[in-house]
Amino acid sequence: MTTAAAPPPSPPPPSSSAGPAVAPADVPPGSAAALAARGVTVRFGGLMALHDVSIEVEPGAIAGLVGPNGAGKSTLLGVLSGLQRPNAGKVWLRGEDVTQASPRARAARGLARTFQQPELFMGLTVREHLVLAYRARTARHRLWRDMFDPRSLLPASRTENDRVDGLLELLRLTRVAKAPVAALPLGVLRLVEVGRALASDPQVLLLDEPLSGLDIKASENLLLVFRQIVDQADPPLSLVIVEHDVAAVLSLSDTVFVLDFGERIAVGTPEQIRNDAAVRAAYLGDSEPAQRATPTSEIPAEAAASGSEPSPSLADLEGRS
Amino acid sequence: MLQFVIAGLVLGGIYAIASAGLVITYTSSGILNFAFGAMAFFIARFYYYLHTQESWSIAAAAVVSIVLAAPAMGVVLYFLLFRYLRLSAPLIKVVATIGLLVAIPSLATLAFGNQAIQQAPGLAPEPVAVYQFLGVPVTLDQVIVYACVIVTVVAGALVLRYTEVGLKVRAMVDSPAMTGLSGTNPGAISVGVWAVSTFFAGLVGVLAAPIIGLDSGKFTVLIAASLAAVVAAKLRNLPVAVLVGLAMGVATSLFQRYLPPASQWTTEIIDAVPFMVIALFLVYSLIRGGRVGDNEGWGGVLDRAITPQGESRLAGSASGTVETASVGVVGKYAGPLLLMVVVGALPMIVSGYWVGLFAQAFAYAVIFLSWTIVTGEGGMLWLCQITFAGVGALTTAQLASNHGWPVLAAALVGGLVAMVMGALVGFLSIRLGDLYVALVTLTFGLLMENLVFTLPTFVNQGLGLSVNRPGFATTDLTFTYLSLLVFVVIALFIVNFRRSTTGLALNAARWSEAGARTSGISVVQQKVIAGSLAAFIAGIGGALIAMAQSPFQPAEFATFQGVVWLAIFVTIGVRSNVAALIAGVMFVFPDALFQYYLPSWTTLPEILSVLFGLGAISAAKYPEGALAENSRRLRALLQGFRPARPGGEPPGDLGVPVGVAAVSPAPRISEQVS
Repeated sequence: MTTAAAPPPSPPPPSSSAGPAVAPADVPPGSAAALAARGVTVRFGGLMALHDVSIEVEPGAIAGLVGPNGAGKSTLLGVLSGLQRPNAGKVWLRGEDVTQASPRARAARGLARTFQQPELFMGLTVREHLVLAYRARTARHRLWRDMFDPRSLLPASRTENDRVDGLLELLRLTRVAKAPVAALPLGVLRLVEVGRALASDPQVLLLDEPLSGLDIKASENLLLVFRQIVDQADPPLSLVIVEHDVAAVLSLSDTVFVLDFGERIAVGTPEQIRNDAAVRAAYLGDSEPAQRATPTSEIPAEAAASGSEPSPSLADLEGRS
Repeated sequence: MLQFVIAGLVLGGIYAIASAGLVITYTSSGILNFAFGAMAFFIARFYYYLHTQESWSIAAAAVVSIVLAAPAMGVVLYFLLFRYLRLSAPLIKVVATIGLLVAIPSLATLAFGNQAIQQAPGLAPEPVAVYQFLGVPVTLDQVIVYACVIVTVVAGALVLRYTEVGLKVRAMVDSPAMTGLSGTNPGAISVGVWAVSTFFAGLVGVLAAPIIGLDSGKFTVLIAASLAAVVAAKLRNLPVAVLVGLAMGVATSLFQRYLPPASQWTTEIIDAVPFMVIALFLVYSLIRGGRVGDNEGWGGVLDRAITPQGESRLAGSASGTVETASVGVVGKYAGPLLLMVVVGALPMIVSGYWVGLFAQAFAYAVIFLSWTIVTGEGGMLWLCQITFAGVGALTTAQLASNHGWPVLAAALVGGLVAMVMGALVGFLSIRLGDLYVALVTLTFGLLMENLVFTLPTFVNQGLGLSVNRPGFATTDLTFTYLSLLVFVVIALFIVNFRRSTTGLALNAARWSEAGARTSGISVVQQKVIAGSLAAFIAGIGGALIAMAQSPFQPAEFATFQGVVWLAIFVTIGVRSNVAALIAGVMFVFPDALFQYYLPSWTTLPEILSVLFGLGAISAAKYPEGALAENSRRLRALLQGFRPARPGGEPPGDLGVPVGVAAVSPAPRISEQVS
């Protein structure tokens, strides 16, 4: 159950990778993991959104998180980022138990994320988003001290400018750097969110459907940027990407976790996932999937709350080219 | 004891009906109706007019006022106002009802006269019959209240549970958008809900009038108490709201039974019962550590999805921000500076009485600046800025007059005391959501007004408190410019605040809690900072008012008056420093001019109040306020362009491809990675 650039040594064969390999929730993962969660369970009343889900991402690795609509992917990102408290299970960030830590505390420890619906600050410009995120991580005292400090009127430090402007350039946002985000289309807003997240110099970045709303070319280029960022990051940056475009996830990720009906049904390399019977069953609607064990009375909350978005096709699993 | 329980159920019953009306309106429309008390007062006053002044029979007056006029008021207000607020941000909705809260009592005065009415009849014929129930005397008025509570609760439950109309209402509570898609007209249901809600308001008004008298201020206090039950019900739980309303009435009555009647504390504890309920709820929420999240309290997934983001928000709307960014530094600052210079020069031109008025106007402007931070920047509606001003004024008077402090040092401490209170109120309420901030600050203001501002030390046998001006600013002219200097210093601070990291973080906390928290920014901390600063500024402003119009009465800092201030400020523009200055002048001068030149026109103050109320309602259409809207039009006119439509084309050359889409040429990612 783990992962890195190389195929993980420990996970069992994909066809049997769902439940038995999960470690007890109170056993901490190896300190080498950038992010880990064990035995995460989330219930919304009588609805089971996640059941005993575990995930582990090593430093510098890209982990894909896929699953049909309503599988619990976004809920899991909520648990990892601290916006959703799990009913059971634990979360470790760089070896430290952060299960009870707030989203802010996790951000201070190097976790950043983007959202399915961009959560931006409508009164700020694109550049101000990045500046704020950078200062919130690197100069927290400025969040309250600046209003009294005339030095805040002075030009920003060269380090800050280099970092912010470099990210704007990387994401091709320089042209709109001074535009308020309220004036920008959805595709650009996603990039601003990515830029804001990267500006905090995270060690772990959670991306919730970053390609949604982007055209094919923009999607491919953004994936390229992600790979470039991960490859160049120092200290290492780990990505967890939730995306409906399975082909894109498989092409980018070192390891892929597959959720269905709130349970982890498979984990492995992209190649292993492509050949996994349980995954194919989940996506193609096999009436008797091998590993599914969700009680019929427990309907995943996400499925109940969202519409009936079509599941990716087999062609998605096999790559679009 | 039974006697007190039965008596308490009368007040509790009125609380319960009011709470039910508030909860029903909120759950079905997302609007927490702060004007409920004003509506109740209007209908009660109409009933009094028909029954007492026009000698109609009780039945005829009750049918016309409660059964016909009250629902008609709801229908009219729905078509004129509320239907346009359906997709507005919670803050806009609150401001609109605040506008009604200001306008409706003045409309009542214009329609029915301004005579003080101490004794108002209820629905029972005079003399009121008295019955014996379990050995306890019960008046017919009380019986009618019990009957109304039972009928409204039982009938309401049956209608909601078993009828098609009830089914449609419940569907709309869950999701107006989905209700519309399934073939039911949500507008028609909304009309009905508003008619029922104002019917409840009318019923509450007529039932409460014999108990509290026909005073719009007391009605506001009554409804503020009912809001305590609504808060305890987390805005949505109808049975809890009714039960807590009843329990508050009984608790009030039992306090009367068991506390020493001669003690002043008894009266104050009784007055504070609703506020104790709110305090208990806040402490419970704090211990529990949960977030109530008022924004998630209304509508379904689809409703939230179609609610405009970045528009219709009070101040700092997206369109305004876009335009501000496009006008450049000169365009941004030239107009405001010119206006400030003109207003600042006026005290040199006028003389005598009018100079003193400018001192007051600038002091009020300082208080209005507190809303510039907390509402204009923080997006929160604090309804107790006048209370903080009162705290600043009282502290200054106590320290300077009774303890010999230098008056400016005393004013500074007054501001700090207000700041501590602001921090406490903010810390307890902000984590629950913006609607709770409005509710809690309103009730905090009323609590302070009734419990603290009425203390004998402050009332001083009706003589009020005196504060000497600083030795270097004893004349009206010098003090006027001292006030203006304070205003300018604070305005500059706010300008810097907006540009600072603190201001950016506050903006972040305002627009996206999830985005802010996952970026490492504490929403509560940033908003508490804003609330505390605003309280400090209001406290300083209060100290200036105390010096400007010494001696002053603590009663001048009544919460309802603060709501009028807010209505004025919102009308002109809650985000602009210059708007605060203009609002200060607008608050002081029209009234003074009318009184000076047209003493016989007694209705003009009411007309002004109505206009201010309507101005606040207009915030629904022009969230930036009249000043920003007219500046925008003027700029467009001067530039020879038509006014830019809000949310229209983005500025600059955004048509040029941006984002990673512009990376070219780029190999396919699949070729790169796999």
